[in-house]
Amino acid sequence: MKLNKSLLSSSEFIVFLGLLAVGAFFAFTSPVFLTKFNLLNILLQSSIQGIIAIGMTFVILTAGIDLSVGSVVALSGVLMALMLHGGVPVWAVILINLAFGVAVGVFHGFSITKIGMAPFIVTLATMAMARGLTMVFSDGKTIFDFPPAFEFFGAGQIGPISVAVIIFLLYALVAEVVLRSTVLGRNIYAVGSNIQAAALSGIRTHGVLYFVYIVSGVSCAIAGLVLTGRLGAAMPTAAMGYELDAIAAVIIGGASLMGGKGTIVGTIIGVLLIGVINNGMNLLNVPPFWQSFLKGAVIFLAVMIDSLKNRPSEV
Amino acid sequence: MKPTPVLETLNLTKVFPGVVALDDVSLTLYPGEVLGLVGENGAGKSTLMKLIGGVFPPTRGRIRYRGEEVQFRTPKDALDAGISIVYQELNLIPHLSVAENIFINRLPRRRGFVDWGRLYRDAARILEASGMGEIDPRAIVSGLPIGVKQSVEIAKALSYDARVLLLDEPTSSLTGPEIENLFGVIRRLQEQGIGIVYVSHHLDEIFEITDRVHVLRDGRTVVEMPTAETTEEAIVARMVGRDLQDIYYKGDHRPGEVALEARGLSDAVLDGVDFHVRRSEVVGIYGLLGSGRTELLKAIVGARPLRAGEVRLRGRPVRFRHPQEAARAGVIYSSEDRKGENLFFGQPIWKNETYLALQIGRFVRMGFAQVAEERRAAEAYSRKLGVKAPSIDVDVYHLSGGNQQKVCLAKALINDPEVVLLDEPTRGIDVGAKLEIYKLIAELADQGKAVVFVSSELPEVIGCADRVYTMAGGRITAELTGEAITEENVLRYCLQTASPGEAAP
Repeated sequence: MKLNKSLLSSSEFIVFLGLLAVGAFFAFTSPVFLTKFNLLNILLQSSIQGIIAIGMTFVILTAGIDLSVGSVVALSGVLMALMLHGGVPVWAVILINLAFGVAVGVFHGFSITKIGMAPFIVTLATMAMARGLTMVFSDGKTIFDFPPAFEFFGAGQIGPISVAVIIFLLYALVAEVVLRSTVLGRNIYAVGSNIQAAALSGIRTHGVLYFVYIVSGVSCAIAGLVLTGRLGAAMPTAAMGYELDAIAAVIIGGASLMGGKGTIVGTIIGVLLIGVINNGMNLLNVPPFWQSFLKGAVIFLAVMIDSLKNRPSEV
Repeated sequence: MKPTPVLETLNLTKVFPGVVALDDVSLTLYPGEVLGLVGENGAGKSTLMKLIGGVFPPTRGRIRYRGEEVQFRTPKDALDAGISIVYQELNLIPHLSVAENIFINRLPRRRGFVDWGRLYRDAARILEASGMGEIDPRAIVSGLPIGVKQSVEIAKALSYDARVLLLDEPTSSLTGPEIENLFGVIRRLQEQGIGIVYVSHHLDEIFEITDRVHVLRDGRTVVEMPTAETTEEAIVARMVGRDLQDIYYKGDHRPGEVALEARGLSDAVLDGVDFHVRRSEVVGIYGLLGSGRTELLKAIVGARPLRAGEVRLRGRPVRFRHPQEAARAGVIYSSEDRKGENLFFGQPIWKNETYLALQIGRFVRMGFAQVAEERRAAEAYSRKLGVKAPSIDVDVYHLSGGNQQKVCLAKALINDPEVVLLDEPTRGIDVGAKLEIYKLIAELADQGKAVVFVSSELPEVIGCADRVYTMAGGRITAELTGEAITEENVLRYCLQTASPGEAAP
C-alpha cells in the first residue's frame, strides 16, 4: 500500500501520465501512430537520445552538467570512420572508441575535481573543441562506406527488434541497477545532495565525479557507434543540439539540476515523451518550425507541473 | 506603579490542522524592558513571534499594542506599526552596502534616481542612534564579521521606528566579544524605551540581559516572572516539566590507555596542537568560534590537509588522508553543521544513518548495498538513541534539531567506532535532547570508547568532561583535570591568548 502511494505521487508517474496523454492524443489524430511499425520506430529513434540521456542522468544527479555530449557523439563517429577507412578491425575500432569516451570523461573529471572548474564551463569548452576537431578530422565532409559488421550496431535487427534498441534497453537496465542498488549509486546521490556531508561521511567525492563524467563520455561513444552505424555515415554536423534534448529528457523525468534527485526510469520516460512528440508531429505534418516551438512548450509544461508541487514561497 | 505595557497578548491561541501550536498564551511587555522567551523546540516560541509579527492571524485571543487592540494582517502592517522581528537567519543582501540593506525597500529618491547622499546620512543617523556609530554605512555587508551583520539587521529593524523588537536566537552564531557588543546595543535600546523580546536557548544570556522571563512548554505559558527571582535550574525544570537532580551525568568510567594522540598538529589555522584522549574518557574541548577546535578534529580525520605534526592511534603513527581512512581505523568525526556538512536533506533517516557505514564496507556485498541489513541497523540505532519519528523512512529535513542530531550520532555510532570526535553535538537543540545527549556521551565512555566533545557552552563542558582542553588562536592554551575544571579557569585560559578584537571569519 505504501509503495503504491509513493509510486502514484512520484515525478516519474506524473510524467508517465503525460506520456500516455500525449500518446492518446496522437493515437486519435493519426491512424498510423499506434501501429507496431511506428511504435518500434519511436523506440529506435529514442534509443540514441536515450543512451546519451542515461549518461546525462548520472552527471545531473551530482548537480553537474555535460554540454559536450552532442559534439562528442559526432567526434566519436568521425574518429571511428577514419579508423575503419585506415583498415583498423571493427572490434579494435569499438574498443578504441569506448576508450575515447573514457578519456573525455577523465578530462572532465580532472578539470572539475583537481582544477576546480565549473562543469558548465568545462563541458561548454569541450563542446566547441570536439565539434572543431570533428570538422578538422573530417575536413567538413561526410564519411561513408563501412563494413557490415560495424553497421550492425546501428542498423542491425535481431528478430523484429533493432540492435540499437536492445543496446539502449540493456544499458538502461545496467544503469538502473548501479544507481539503485550499489554503494556507488548511493554515493552519486549523496554527492549531489550534499557534497560536504558526502566527503565527511567518507565518500570519495572526486572518484564519484570522475565516474559520472566517464559514464557520460562512454554513453556518447556508444551513441556515436549506434548513430554512425544507423546512418551508414559519419557526419561532422551529427548530433547537433542533442545535449539540450538529453538535459530536457532528464529534467522532464523528475531529476533536479540541483542534484540528488532523479532516476533512470524517469529519464527513459522523458526520452520517450520527446520521441513521441517528435514522431507524432511528423505524422501530423506539423511544419518543422512549429515542431521546435511545440516541443519547447511541452518541455516547459512538463517541468512546470513538477515544479508547482514544491514551489517555494517568495519570502 | 508600572507603566502601560507596550505589548500584550491576551489568551492567544493558534491551531494548525491537527496541532494546537499555541494555547491561551498571555504575555506582557513593558517599554524599556527585555523579556526573555524560553522553551524547548516546539514549545511555541516561533508561533508566538509570528502571531505578534503579523505573519499569520491567531485562531483565538487578542493582541494589544500601546494600549490599543490591533489586528495585523501582514508582516508589513506590524512593521509599519513599530513591531520588528530579527530572525535567526540573517536576511541581508551580501553584496550591497550597509545603508542599502537598511533601506532596502524604500531607498530615498530624487528625480527617479537614488539619493545616495541622503541614504548614507539617514543610515549613519540610525546606526548612531542605536549605538552602532562605528559601523560604516558604505561598507559592503559580505565583508563584515557576523556580529556586525547582526547589528546591521537590528539597525534595519529599528529603522521602522520600532517600539517593540523581537530577537530570535540572536547570538546563535556570535562569538563571546560579539555577544557582549550585542548586549551593549540592547541596553542602549532599552534606555530609549524600546520593549525587547529576547528568544534564546542560552540561559546564561537570559540571566545576563533580561529583566523578566516568560517560559513556554507545549504551547502553554508555564510562568512569567522577574529573572532575578529565579535560577537556571528552576527554569530548565519548568521548560522540560520535570525536576532535574543533576543535569549533567558523568557516568561510571575510569580512563584507560591512550587511544588517540596528536603531536604538533599545524596547518593554516592550527599552531602546534598536542592533545590525547584515553579509552573510557570524555575529553572536552572548549574554545570560541575561530579558536581552531573544528579544524583540529577535521585535521585528525584527514578532512583538512596537515602541514606538520603526527597522529597516533593506539601508539602507532597514522596519517589519515580522507575521513574514509579514519573511519576504517575506527576514528569518526561528526560535524557541528548538521545541515551543511552532516546530513543529506531530502533523504530518509535510514539512508542518512548508514552512509558512513557503507563507505567502510558494512552492509555491502560485492558492491551492492544490503538494504534489509541497513534498515535493521538503522531501526535499532534510531530506537536506541530515541529518534522521534513515525518511521525510519521520514526525510531528515522534517525532524527537529534534536532528532537530527540523534540521527548524526547514530550515523557515527552505527560503526562502533573506537574514537568519536563530536563537534558541538548540542548546538541549537532543546534542553530535553541535550540531556539525552549528555547521557549518551557518558555511556559511550562507560563502554570503553574515547570521546572528544567540542562545545561552546561552558556548563556542559564542565559538567560532562573528565578532562578539558581550552583552545584559542589555533593552540591548546590549557589542559584542566579534576578540581581544576571550573568556569573561571576554562574562561581564563580560552581568552588568554585570543587577541581582544579578534572576530570570527
